[in-house]
Amino acid sequence: MSGATARPPGAALDPPQASTRTKALVAFGCAAAIAIAWSLAAGRVPPYMLPAPADVGRAALGFFGSARQLAHLGATLTHIGAAITIAFTLGALLALAAHYARWSAPAIHHRLSPFLNAFSGIGWTLLAVIWFGVSSATVVFTITVVLLPFALINLREGLVALDRELLEMGRSFGRGAGRMFAVVVLPALLPFCAATLRIMFGVSWKVALTAELFGGSKGLGYMINIARQDYDTATIFTVILFIILAVYMADRLAFAPLERYTSRHYGRASPR
Amino acid sequence: MNAMRRPASSWLADGLTLAALCAWWLTARGLPDFVLPGPVAVAERLLALFTDTTFLVHTLASTVRVLVSVLLALVIGSGLALIQRAWPALDWVLRGGVQPFLNSFPSIGWAILAAIWFTPSHGSIIFVQVAILIPFCLINVGEGLRQIDRETLEMAQSFTRRRRRIAFLVGLPLLAPYLLGALRISYGVAWKIALVAELLGATSGLGFLMLRAQGSADQTTVLAACFAIVALFVAGEKLLLEPLARRFAAR
Repeated sequence: MSGATARPPGAALDPPQASTRTKALVAFGCAAAIAIAWSLAAGRVPPYMLPAPADVGRAALGFFGSARQLAHLGATLTHIGAAITIAFTLGALLALAAHYARWSAPAIHHRLSPFLNAFSGIGWTLLAVIWFGVSSATVVFTITVVLLPFALINLREGLVALDRELLEMGRSFGRGAGRMFAVVVLPALLPFCAATLRIMFGVSWKVALTAELFGGSKGLGYMINIARQDYDTATIFTVILFIILAVYMADRLAFAPLERYTSRHYGRASPR
Repeated sequence: MNAMRRPASSWLADGLTLAALCAWWLTARGLPDFVLPGPVAVAERLLALFTDTTFLVHTLASTVRVLVSVLLALVIGSGLALIQRAWPALDWVLRGGVQPFLNSFPSIGWAILAAIWFTPSHGSIIFVQVAILIPFCLINVGEGLRQIDRETLEMAQSFTRRRRRIAFLVGLPLLAPYLLGALRISYGVAWKIALVAELLGATSGLGFLMLRAQGSADQTTVLAACFAIVALFVAGEKLLLEPLARRFAAR
């Protein structure tokens, strides 16, 4: 570490290296410091402002032991799953339409996509509450319209990146458009589909809780709203920590490997 | 201008937009205002959001806070990325801990915690927005620092030994596209997602205005505020981010 401190950051030519042991020690030290600081701070302020780590642990145990709270978790997962499915399907259909029926491309890519991309998620939630009432439909609608531009933009990039020479070769082997799509186009798109799903999953969590808080009658967002009204900060902490852990694990263990696998097997280069 | 040269598909795009507006107008005629107000009423309110002082206060409050938050997030995010590069011992803490933690933190979670911890003010709203935006800046700038062309830096080092000179004359321009990328993403997320900060405890801003309007079934204002956000987002892209991108892409 001593060598690194002498350099002004950003000017370092070769980034200095650190051994795994140093990194682990520093990481452990930081984690311990945070835990101690949290305990000390929690002793000084009322629990509704900052619950002690033990209280959060108890709330977490209660969370997984309670069928009602697990039902809220299930509701959120259902909302997210439904929204991702609808948004991905719609986005794929629109992107394919713009690609194969060229006349529709400006309408889709220069009108619909920028409009959806600029529209605020909170705006959709508040509008949907009036249109669909406080319900799961509101939540799924909100997440879907927020995710749609992500699907549209990413899948468009995939279609643009299709290898022209590969398509030509495909055409020289057979003329069936359906066969061509299934054998050449679809596999080439898979890496982009995986990347799109990964982005959508990350964004969906950010939107889902807000939508559930203002427009849902169940789900984790609804649950933290109740906890907020009861000044039950330990439950709020539990839900937030659980989401951080779940989103991170899902990304590491499911979406990142899926993306790596598809781009290694079907991709030319790794998609962005 | 040269209308004759425009491809038919562009005319179709405009035609469909017009058709959507007409469909909205027709649907709204059969529905009460609190469900779907007509385009004319919404357009009038949209104009009021930028001209009438009672509304303009909210529009300006949101705009200024978004700009401040984006800049602060860029500074803090870049700072964290630079720390990560300068002190590799902190690599696990920052890349394995801080970054995924901030990136997975639900945005409404920050809003709720800020409402519990602070008395509502401009500062508390900016805190929430900055917390939501930092991971986007950290990821982009961190990626830029990793991609930075080592050979160009090496060449620069053969000309001068002064590290600060290298950082400003070579490092910064190389990093510029990534800084711009961070700016662009944060600006979009600030308007689309980080506005939740204005929903809990705030007394000004477009988010607050929308929530209050929804509470009194004033759908006209809700829709107008949505379109105002679209307009501000597009204006920022066209007037600020795209000229910046052109300026730095030339290097």
